[in-house]
Amino acid sequence: MTATTSPRLKTATYGGWRTRLGRAVLPYFLIFPTFALILTFTLWPTVSAAMQSTIRTPSSARMAPRFVGLQNYIDLFTPTTEVGQTFPRVFVGTLVFAGVTVPISMGLSFLLAVMLNRKIRGLGFFRFAFFYPVVIPLIGAGSIFSFIFADNIGLLNTVLRSFGVQTHPWLGDATWAPIAVMMVAIWKQTGFYMILYLAGLQSLPTDVYEAADLDGANSWVKTTRITLPLLSGTTLFVLTTAAANAFQMVDQLYALGEGAPADRSNLMLYFIFQRYNERANTGYVNAITVILLVILLAFTLFNFIVIERKVYYEN
Amino acid sequence: MKTSRIGRVTVWDRLGTLVLFLGAILWLIPLVWTVLISVRPPGETIVTGNIFFGSRITLENFEETFRIVDWRVGYGATLIFVFGVLAAQLVTITLAGFAFARLKFFGKRVLFTLILVQIMIPSAVLLVPNFSTIRALGLYDNRLGLMLPYFGSAFGTFLMRQAFRQVPLDLEDAARLDGCSWIGLLRHVYLPASIPTLVAFGLISITARWNEFLWPLMVTRSDENRPLAVLLAQVQRTNEVGALYGQTMAGVLIVIATLLILFIFFQRQFINSFVRSGLR
Amino acid sequence: MLLKRLNVLLIVALVLAAFAGLTTTRAQSATEVLFYYPTAVGGPISQVIEGYAAEFNAANPDVKVTAVFAGGYADIYKAVDTALKGGGQGPDVAIFLTTDMYSLIDNDYIIPLDDFIKAMPNGEAYLKDFFPAFLLNSQAFGQTWGIPFQRSTPVLYYNKTLFKENGLDPEKAPANWQELRDFAAKLTTPERWGLLIPSEGFPYWLFQGFAIGNGQNLVGEESNKVYFNTPSTVEALEYFANLSLKDGVMPKGIIKWGDTPADFWSGKAAMIYHTTGSLTNILKNANFEVGVGYLPAGKVGYGAPTGGGNLYILKSSPAEKQAAAWRWIQFLTTPEKQADWTVATGYIAARQAAWQTETLKKLVAEKPQYAVARDQLQYAAKELSTHRGSDVQRLFAVAVHSVLLGEKDAKTALDEAQAAAEALLAEFQN
Repeated sequence: MTATTSPRLKTATYGGWRTRLGRAVLPYFLIFPTFALILTFTLWPTVSAAMQSTIRTPSSARMAPRFVGLQNYIDLFTPTTEVGQTFPRVFVGTLVFAGVTVPISMGLSFLLAVMLNRKIRGLGFFRFAFFYPVVIPLIGAGSIFSFIFADNIGLLNTVLRSFGVQTHPWLGDATWAPIAVMMVAIWKQTGFYMILYLAGLQSLPTDVYEAADLDGANSWVKTTRITLPLLSGTTLFVLTTAAANAFQMVDQLYALGEGAPADRSNLMLYFIFQRYNERANTGYVNAITVILLVILLAFTLFNFIVIERKVYYEN
Repeated sequence: MKTSRIGRVTVWDRLGTLVLFLGAILWLIPLVWTVLISVRPPGETIVTGNIFFGSRITLENFEETFRIVDWRVGYGATLIFVFGVLAAQLVTITLAGFAFARLKFFGKRVLFTLILVQIMIPSAVLLVPNFSTIRALGLYDNRLGLMLPYFGSAFGTFLMRQAFRQVPLDLEDAARLDGCSWIGLLRHVYLPASIPTLVAFGLISITARWNEFLWPLMVTRSDENRPLAVLLAQVQRTNEVGALYGQTMAGVLIVIATLLILFIFFQRQFINSFVRSGLR
Repeated sequence: MLLKRLNVLLIVALVLAAFAGLTTTRAQSATEVLFYYPTAVGGPISQVIEGYAAEFNAANPDVKVTAVFAGGYADIYKAVDTALKGGGQGPDVAIFLTTDMYSLIDNDYIIPLDDFIKAMPNGEAYLKDFFPAFLLNSQAFGQTWGIPFQRSTPVLYYNKTLFKENGLDPEKAPANWQELRDFAAKLTTPERWGLLIPSEGFPYWLFQGFAIGNGQNLVGEESNKVYFNTPSTVEALEYFANLSLKDGVMPKGIIKWGDTPADFWSGKAAMIYHTTGSLTNILKNANFEVGVGYLPAGKVGYGAPTGGGNLYILKSSPAEKQAAAWRWIQFLTTPEKQADWTVATGYIAARQAAWQTETLKKLVAEKPQYAVARDQLQYAAKELSTHRGSDVQRLFAVAVHSVLLGEKDAKTALDEAQAAAEALLAEFQN
């Protein structure tokens, strides 16, 4: 039996003033811990970052910080400043990272889920194989792949060379290093999205498919016209999660060269981490934090608008 | 329900299974080589000798990591971190989830929306301002400072609210007739009914905390406070200057072993938990 | 009656107090000294350091040194920086990069050590016993701030067996840039690179060898000036980049520091540039005879930067801990301990007397490779170190990387780096 959601406790009117006062205060008391914590560690830091991003701190401990408005943001993209020499490419690199890993991991996970969603033996084996990267730390994944991608003594190049394939230094090359970093992220997260899609697929009704079969529809039509629309809710969730993750998955850089070469494979959040402790970079670090926040909030907003229009839920 | 396929196994089926199998092998390769390299004698690279095995199987790499980091202390720190956070979260999300599910009060929608902001803004992005806050509170290199930002969970609150709303009101009415206060309601009606959700949340929380890296790295200094992921980074750093992959891989195994073994035995529960997190 | 009782009580109390006072003085606990050290070279460094601490603590029961492995040099800096800014207690004594000296001074983290040195019975002799090259990055503004401990220079490692096989004299490392390129070309095969010079992270260090050898170091006496774009340096960068881009003796792109020794001892590279601090590790793992030579000479001659870490005492430490820390520093810099440290790592024992000990005499006799870096010291110059040290080093890294990746030519890149560095250092021109 589904429950209605009409709350009950508040509408009760019995009791003396103390009981009623207690009852009125109760909700606030219950949510206070959560709210206070989120206020302190989510809402306030956002404001604080915005404020700190408008301040320039000199490197000497004896000089005071001063207000500079949006200058820090401008500096980040001006090639003559120290940060401006590398930040623009990190900014672009981060967007590319998100723009590549999200679609690939989503598409791959959907395909895997479809293939897995049949009566095949060894489901447990396949689930383990694709999902285990999700339960290991990203820094661990980075360490493992630092070995795989090592130029002369690493696994990948050694195997490629034994087949006579021309190799390149994965982590030392301006083009391949970002790709290597993306590969690690895709390897790590695809399994998670796969099981989400799998669950979605397994909850689909069969009658629609039977009707389609009777109409002589082939697999392609069935997938695009039936499956995907029915899974739009799952797809939306996967998209949101993948996008949010894309801007946070930076731990692996610690083991993969910290953005090498020359910040070609660096990501904004890691760039922040590399400089968070330097007095003179306080303003820049907070400015980049704000940039990240803006991107994430913009994406969430975009998503929200899309929900209102396009999501197809079977009633 | 599975999409039905009546009887015949088609070529596409076979191809699909083959692709799946190759994919699985590809995905497993990193784990396999982690194990292989960890038992390879140090200094023996895969270009000198067999790509799978060195001249002998050895555990010296594991021993060496003990000289770099104290795994026991790290395990202790991790357990405290993971379960300390989980315990606090269970309290906060239960209370808040209950309030949002069953109570009516002024400002409820606004407060709920504000709390949900946390789902939109991942805490990772707020590393720097949170670091300043923790330092200002005097909690640098302090267990509480490490755990505090995680105590409140919008995601958990949301989950509990959903779970509580599923509980039939009749049960609540019955309990109230027996004279239950809100605490009693939670204890006797709502929590028992929501155990699957609690378990799901718990597994996700544990996995996320166990693998937390940048935040603990920034906010802790002493060995007693540093969880395993940070110790792994120390092993990684030590070997970066000499590229002793055997030791690094040994370190990786020590860190991932616990969750991986748990995952093998409780695969279903893990996966269900993560699936649940996606159900709205 | 009562008065008598009170008197007795008073006397007893006084006696007890006096007794208590005596016992507390005797039972006074050892001064605790917290020591942070990094790992920058492979090998069982922690074991060695902990051994030293145990030895020191046993010999000095009134001091207890706790050695804490704190990651890389950058990690130590971050840790100390954070602890002190958060009002927490940092370490009392730590190993920092010599190039951090100006930042440490600017941030008021360290104390000058001249008073301690003066208080020593033979302080002047002690200081003079350190190789002068090492003191270049240890003294500033007329004071001594750090004591050399794990110091190094880069050296050229080469595979003697491969030299023999390719008709090269195994006892002669390439003497100049021409030979370096020619030898490397001979030694490069599809399976193996003739030369590897790591360039990831902060490539300025290895590059300084080229700059100094060609006439002008990247930095001079001053703490607020750099020389990134002099013609000799531009020429040096062009030569360096061409090794991979044109001559094909080095892989293109950026080369990792940590993998290079392993590449060398697995036979994947015939020659490498690396710190002498990796010597012990390389000798242990190589199954061929390892040659060590000076960095090949440029137009003007041989040249190399010094590198490594010094021991610094933190200002935040209370006076008695600072004094105890000084004793620990003295222990670590005795000739015997320096000799031992060299054997364990390959770092150059910073005190000249250390090389006269039996340990090092024997070592050099058996493995002359350990003496090469020391002998190269005569050609050594100051490591790149200025105010805003890491930012300035980053600027130089950006220039080198853009040239190595084929994106800019040497002159443009270095001109830009010089301009940006001058902008950064402007606030320090007084």
